[in-house]
Amino acid sequence: MKSNSNVSPLSGKSVLVTGATGEIGQAIVASCLSLGAAVFANARDEDKLAPLLETWSGKVIPLIYDVTDERVVKEQFRQIQKMQMQSDIGPLHGLVNNAGVMFEAPITVSLMDKLKEQLNINFLAPYQHMQLACRLMARQRKGSIVNILSQVGELGSSGMSAYASSKAALKGATVSLAKELAPVGIRVNGVAPGFIETAMTKHYDQEKRDNVTQRIVMKRTGKPGDVAKAVAFLLSEQSSYTTGHILPVDGAFTP
Amino acid sequence: MDNNEKLKQVFCQALGIEADQVTDSLTYNTIEEWDSTAHMILVAELEDTFDVMLDTDDIIDMSTVGKAKEILAKYEVQF
Repeated sequence: MKSNSNVSPLSGKSVLVTGATGEIGQAIVASCLSLGAAVFANARDEDKLAPLLETWSGKVIPLIYDVTDERVVKEQFRQIQKMQMQSDIGPLHGLVNNAGVMFEAPITVSLMDKLKEQLNINFLAPYQHMQLACRLMARQRKGSIVNILSQVGELGSSGMSAYASSKAALKGATVSLAKELAPVGIRVNGVAPGFIETAMTKHYDQEKRDNVTQRIVMKRTGKPGDVAKAVAFLLSEQSSYTTGHILPVDGAFTP
Repeated sequence: MDNNEKLKQVFCQALGIEADQVTDSLTYNTIEEWDSTAHMILVAELEDTFDVMLDTDDIIDMSTVGKAKEILAKYEVQF
């Protein structure tokens, strides 16, 4: 009997990853490449993305755009629509809505502009990306969408109500679209990281960090690679019967 | 194959109906085959066949076969 163990699971397919220059985004891109996918790597800042392109081995197509610019997002999908016909890229199989921002503030000093910015980047932009991606995926009757959520959105966190709301909104879209898109073969799942060591959490002082770690059953904070492994699982056929699921990547965080 | 024939073929494939059912007056949600799921597949197939990317407003407006022709004409697809 022949073994398929050497076949790359996403070979001949492409995946769009938003926010590719952040630590988690970089890990997700590397993970997708290791699965054999061609990756459309989105970033706002070309200068940040350019050096990363040299570190990745595999087919990476840089897409420089602001995820909140509706007109530009549509133009980018038009480009993906054309490029996915190329044999070295392949049809769009996956979308990872990873780009996000987090602002912490108690409600009394929360600025409405910051709330709107988080809703725009963390919810409205991923929604438009799903709206456009599902049409490309529908042609294949197959696809996998993975939204990067947060345990903050799942469990709540004092001083993070605006961020939590934006992620909770995306969770609602995730579980609803899992039901809506299942008939056309598209799975929609979420990954909900806990405390991951990134630039977003760098400002935590040691006392705050220790306090968080004590509440994690695995007694360590997470790494970007931990999130990327969960994303890879949900993009691949390893999770072929899983949709509408929110996978925590938090070392069992206890609020 | 001209664009009328291509359009007819897309409707047949996307909705799983016979060619003689595809008339300009055929309307969304009036036959069980043309439901919201089929509509998504129909849009995907139309975009693929005619190499266009439709606006959401156009997808909402695409309520009949005749309307689909009008909308595609905006994207320089001639019938």
